[in-house]
Amino acid sequence: MELLVLIKPVPDPETRLRPNAAGTDLDTDGVKWVLTGYDESAVEQALLLKEAIPGSKVRAIAFGPAPRTEEILRSALALGCDAATWVEQPKDAAGDPMLAAEALAAACQNVPFDLILSGKQALDDEAGLVGPAVAERLGVADYGPVVDLRWDAAANQFTFARAIEGGLERMVAPPPLVVGLQQAWNDPRTAKLQNVLKARRIAIDKVTWANPPPGVGPAAPGTHVAAFRLPPPRTGAKMIEYKTPEEAAQKLVRLLREEAKTLP
Amino acid sequence: MTGPVFVIVELRNGAPVRSSLEALGAGRRLAGPPGTTPVIALLLGSAVESAAAHVAERGADQVLTIVDPRFDSFQAAVWSAAITALAQELGVIAVLLAGTAHGRQLVGRLAARWGAAAVTGIADISISNDGAMLAVRPVFSGRALQEVRVDAPRVVLGLRPNAFPPPEPSGSKAPVLAHATPELGKLPALGHVSGFETAQSASGPDLSEATVIVSGGRGLKGPENFRMLDELAASLGGAVGASRAVTDSGWKPAALQIGQTGRTVSPQLYIAIGISGAIQHLVGMISSRTIVAINSDPGAPIFKVADYGIVGDLFQIVPALTSEVRRVRGS
Ligand SMILES: Cc1cc2nc3c(=O)[nH]c(=O)nc-3n(C[C@H](O)[C@H](O)[C@H](O)COP(=O)(O)OP(=O)(O)OC[C@H]3O[C@@H](n4cnc5c(N)ncnc54)[C@H](O)[C@@H]3O)c2cc1C
Repeated sequence: MELLVLIKPVPDPETRLRPNAAGTDLDTDGVKWVLTGYDESAVEQALLLKEAIPGSKVRAIAFGPAPRTEEILRSALALGCDAATWVEQPKDAAGDPMLAAEALAAACQNVPFDLILSGKQALDDEAGLVGPAVAERLGVADYGPVVDLRWDAAANQFTFARAIEGGLERMVAPPPLVVGLQQAWNDPRTAKLQNVLKARRIAIDKVTWANPPPGVGPAAPGTHVAAFRLPPPRTGAKMIEYKTPEEAAQKLVRLLREEAKTLP
Repeated sequence: MTGPVFVIVELRNGAPVRSSLEALGAGRRLAGPPGTTPVIALLLGSAVESAAAHVAERGADQVLTIVDPRFDSFQAAVWSAAITALAQELGVIAVLLAGTAHGRQLVGRLAARWGAAAVTGIADISISNDGAMLAVRPVFSGRALQEVRVDAPRVVLGLRPNAFPPPEPSGSKAPVLAHATPELGKLPALGHVSGFETAQSASGPDLSEATVIVSGGRGLKGPENFRMLDELAASLGGAVGASRAVTDSGWKPAALQIGQTGRTVSPQLYIAIGISGAIQHLVGMISSRTIVAINSDPGAPIFKVADYGIVGDLFQIVPALTSEVRRVRGS
């Protein structure tokens, strides 16, 4: 089975966020970029499927600028992906997710696949647009947010559930397919040091923006981030002083009614 | 603005979901008062009549129905083909979608097909002085805000649940028109739904639509103690959620888990009880309007993101809180 995983470098979740000087984006100075969140689960799930289905291969594909994108593709290789494609985004190109989807769809067009996995959304911009837009471009069905993804070899189809409001919607679907992953069978593995070293020697297939495959072009994204700001700082909780549990309850209810106005 | 606004109304058990009604409210806000830019509610499926009548009294200028069983289960490929064809036919400039699981899945696909810009997770929306649309969206798990400017002739907008008030019944009734299923073109091979596992707590609203969530963690010490949380939630008309420590131990079903590998919620009021506040949990609830933490450890990280904190033994605080809520709400 040919498995593709779409991944994106995002700032380490522990990063202290600061707007840039123009107030339009995150100040990326000194930021550590990592493979994390739902994308990490998507890689884990791809590797689990590969281990379960003999003869499978996993290719990680990422769109983004140097050097962070190449680095997270190396992380994916160290975890056990067999190959990687890097669609390089020039420094000045817009970061619109719909544009990223164009670039990624074009990169997938030249590669045979049975399944494309992505995280249901990235942990930084939380857009959740790329997987579904790639599916539309490639003309295949897409489902998400997916849990419990399995391959039923006898019936030649995938089985999975969509985690929707009120419960799990069980589904079956034939390949080829695009899924936005919510959760893998287990928590993501960490790479062994020897594999980290080995991954450094694997060649990454590179597609540059200057020489895009057919279909990738600097289309006008139609949106831009006019402002990036931090919400008013959470000063920490207003702590309720009390002598008895009843007093604590009374004070809390009064604050919720009169100050927060969120008690129904 | 020079064309109608579509609001896609999602149904569950034949009724519009609350977030779709919120989308109608957002559509009205975007379009201006009735009589300016028309707001068209669109309902797809085989049994849409009663929902259409409900929606007709809530902010729409017109209700369109496409009565076709092919829309009874959600297929992004099919829905985006139909909505695109219809949007082109009617010269629509914006499509608004609720922040449900299905709504979120539809935005990117519809935008790619329709050739539109796309913005998701919108918590607020306005029109700037020069006529451009401005959308505010929390990012980085609510630790930052983006203000996105839309300069496109067409846009698909995905909304955050609980961010826009659903319109009150207006007293007047918008016309309900049936429309034939548009030409869908060549569709990809599709999957199909084979079953449904309900995960709702026996009573009370679903987590994603609850305005109050009472959430319990390992501090509850066992499944039997969740009865206390059920009672508090019931007194507030809310739903019960849980941390992963709880769902992993089998005290509550996995579907009630909130966080990175569970549900993302944004109620008006989130009460975290015996939950430490690990980053993977915070990701799922941090954009709640008001956060209350009850925890015996004053150093628990949950107090850093909470608005109100009570340091104490949950086994004493929670019953007292339930009585007080019952007293003031007269229930
Ligand atoms: C890949 C990955 C994904 C994850 N996804 C999720 C997720 O989706 N959701 C999630 O929740 N977690 C998730 N986790 C787990 C997360 O890291 C935490 O382990 C988990 O949230 C802890 O749950 P807890 O707060 O209930 O338990 P604990 O961290 O054990 O906290 C229990 C709290 O209860 C308090 N307490 C104890 N007794 C009392 C008492 N009598 N009165 C008052 N307070 C008391 C304690 O002070 C403590 O703060 C994930 C982890 C990983 C690695």
